[in-house]
Amino acid sequence: MEFQLLAAGLAIGLGTIGPGIGIGIGFSKAMEAIGRNPEASGTLFVPYILGLALTEAMAIYALVIGLILIFAVS
Amino acid sequence: MVGALLASAILLISTVFVRRRGTLVPGRFQSLIELPIEWLAGVVKGTGGKRWAEFAGLVIAIFLFVLVANMIGLLPGVGVIGTVVETEHGEQELIPLVRAAAADLNFTLGLALISFVAFVAWGIRANGLGGYLKELLIAEPAYMTPLLTPIHIISELSRLISLSMRLFGNVFAGEVLLAVILSLVPLLVPIVFLGLELIFGFVQALVFALLTMTYITLAIAEHRQHGTGDAHPGEAPDHSEASPAPSRA
Repeated sequence: MEFQLLAAGLAIGLGTIGPGIGIGIGFSKAMEAIGRNPEASGTLFVPYILGLALTEAMAIYALVIGLILIFAVS
Repeated sequence: MVGALLASAILLISTVFVRRRGTLVPGRFQSLIELPIEWLAGVVKGTGGKRWAEFAGLVIAIFLFVLVANMIGLLPGVGVIGTVVETEHGEQELIPLVRAAAADLNFTLGLALISFVAFVAWGIRANGLGGYLKELLIAEPAYMTPLLTPIHIISELSRLISLSMRLFGNVFAGEVLLAVILSLVPLLVPIVFLGLELIFGFVQALVFALLTMTYITLAIAEHRQHGTGDAHPGEAPDHSEASPAPSRA
């Protein structure tokens, strides 16, 4: 049981590294684009949110694995 | 489930109210209701292609439903008032009367199923059953079919999982975060996180609606777009290698 919790912690901890970097890159690029062309912020918003959601899905998979490890594996 | 019912009740009541008293020049309450609808309709019109009006209703309905359900989850008393039940291990467990609807996987999975059926149905309607199956089962260079078809099918199904799990994970994690912060610092600090949860509730509702819209748009517009998508990586390295190299030097 203790190892199960450790595994869940590792899963979510390691699993959020990649999406964290990815969302950071996306956000910095979006800010860069808005800084260069402030009128574009309206058109950038929707694609940015979509990209954020797709990147975040990876972290969600890690969360799912963590939840399975804690609750479903007995 | 009660949370979801409350959300749909609120939406229905406001709909009836606006339909009854609707005027051409909107009053304060009416413009509050019309604002998100018109904004989202503009977004769908901008990115949804030619046939945007067909699925704009579904997208807006999903957005409003998830948004209201998320907002209900943040009200005081929600998730706290309920009955205490003994579990089989002898521990006491609280079963709340109303809880955040999206913190329950059944709710999000149901919504994701609606969205899944919608984009598959629109794909079949736009390209015909044969066209849809051909799109799904046969890759563009025919010899790649054994390799790409399983990936295709898995990626179709993973949309269902990622749609439902994203909403569930975000709202559930938000609830856990609020509970942890409340137990650590009960004063003032949770307000900041409540504000954060307001933003997240909005963003997740938007994400769910926009992803549904994107999937439907992709399903309608799939006229062998995947084939060119496969061909692109072959020539793409030229561009991607050319631009970073000078900046490194």
